[in-house]
Amino acid sequence: MRETLYYMERDFRRWSRGKINVISALILPAAWLIFVGLALPIRFTDNYLDFITPGILVLTMLGASLQGGALLMFDKILGFLQKFLAMPAPRETILFGKILFITCRGLIQTTIILVMAILLGAHFLDPLLLLQTYLVLFIFGVLLSSVMTTVALSLEDHDSYAAFNSMIAMPLFFTSSALMPYDQMPGWLEVLARLNPVSYAIDAIRSMQEGIFPATTIAGLLIGAVIVLSVSVYVFRRATV
Amino acid sequence: MAAIEISGLTKQFGTLIAVREMNLSIDREIFGLLGPNGSGKTTTVKMLTTLLTPTEGDAHICGYSVTKDPQKVREQISYVPQDMAVDPKLTGRENVIFYGKLYGIPKPRETADEALLMLELADRADDLVKTYSGGMRRRLELAQALVHDPEVLFLDEPTIGLDVGGRRRIWDHIIELKKKGMTVFVTTHYMDEADHACDRIGIIDKGRVVAMNTPTALKTEICQDIVAIRADGTFKGIFPEGVSYLGRSGDELRFKAVNGEEAGVALSRAFTDDGMNVRSVSIRQPTLDDVFLALVGEQDETMAFDFQRFRTMLRRRR
Repeated sequence: MRETLYYMERDFRRWSRGKINVISALILPAAWLIFVGLALPIRFTDNYLDFITPGILVLTMLGASLQGGALLMFDKILGFLQKFLAMPAPRETILFGKILFITCRGLIQTTIILVMAILLGAHFLDPLLLLQTYLVLFIFGVLLSSVMTTVALSLEDHDSYAAFNSMIAMPLFFTSSALMPYDQMPGWLEVLARLNPVSYAIDAIRSMQEGIFPATTIAGLLIGAVIVLSVSVYVFRRATV
Repeated sequence: MAAIEISGLTKQFGTLIAVREMNLSIDREIFGLLGPNGSGKTTTVKMLTTLLTPTEGDAHICGYSVTKDPQKVREQISYVPQDMAVDPKLTGRENVIFYGKLYGIPKPRETADEALLMLELADRADDLVKTYSGGMRRRLELAQALVHDPEVLFLDEPTIGLDVGGRRRIWDHIIELKKKGMTVFVTTHYMDEADHACDRIGIIDKGRVVAMNTPTALKTEICQDIVAIRADGTFKGIFPEGVSYLGRSGDELRFKAVNGEEAGVALSRAFTDDGMNVRSVSIRQPTLDDVFLALVGEQDETMAFDFQRFRTMLRRRR
């Protein structure tokens, strides 16, 4: 499975040499935190920054994953994927390489948010809390980037991918528990938010902020990730172009 | 067993039979598969490189079945598709080392350097590929493909979109590889290149191989002398005896005849008698172009226009 690392290394090299890619990846999370975390006039909590930081962390990972699926789409339409599929390296290593790159890039972005949030006064300095937060974000990143990479493999062109992306991005964002707690939501929104996988990851981090280890929620995310990964591996092994 | 053994290979997409019962045996030679757009060339290559599963039949690469043992097949081959896919943000060396690592060769850096040297890219190896010309990018793709020393090399339209010098260099390298014992399976649209470089040629039309032999034998078998006439007007008479109409290429009408000079005079006279204005008559030995025209004819494009491919070609020409 060393090939996974080689595929990931390729994407990191390409990413790090596009200045605008790196700058946007670093500025976007900061903008999120400042405009959403500090600007919204909120009355239901005294420390909205502590409340909103898990939401922004998870939504940043969501954004990284949704954007990351396009990497495979471009590999496909530019002819790279044909070459990779005709090579002896196991085909699932193409998928694993993409997942690792997308998730690690997302973790770099979330690290910036964490640093900024801590500087602005959020209570995230506990090493155990940090470790558990990274664990949840990693599992969530694997789940989402696996879905999006496999969707990119299955769709025909980049326009279709962009359409799919737009179709799921907004609903996932607005029907999650990122912006407000369940008791502040209208009833219909609460039902949707409790079904949304994005809420699972956010709620897990919020529980850990309160010192509770959310074993069931993390297990749910983990089982989801394993199921999605298994389907993705199956699809990649049988891929034709 | 030959490096490539194809038996009854068929691929069907719905009601369209893209490749129909293909049987070929190719070993330590440059084999060119020629055919019009949509004739089944790329589908054939994709089946042989395990990217598509055949509907019927099978092919063996170095003894391994593409349907039963695709992993072993992939260890024996390299595939360079039509689209020129090299990473512009990586250097030439990084591009080749990446492939060396993926193929799991023991010393990827050293082997990459050897491949770059062989493809005359050593002096530009540390430059970003975005500064490379189209010909250099194609040679870089060859370096990537050769880094694991494959037994069989598949090249799909290797010179498309390149200038004359770039094409010649690519073919020189391909011929050199064959001399070293590699089997090269190539598809191309360029008849003159196939004539010059391929040991054997197969002509495919509507998924079926309609002729296969050495270029010289194909020209002798299928064509005699070629008479090319440019004339204004429409001929309504009967062609002289011993003369067969091959087809039209641009404004040129082509005929074949055992004795080209006699046929040229007879045709010119017949055209003039029919009220046509004959502008030029030329007699020459047949080329592969004539063979292609005789076997496949002039065809309308039946395939949908591939904008992606068109854009790739434009990008390559910059």
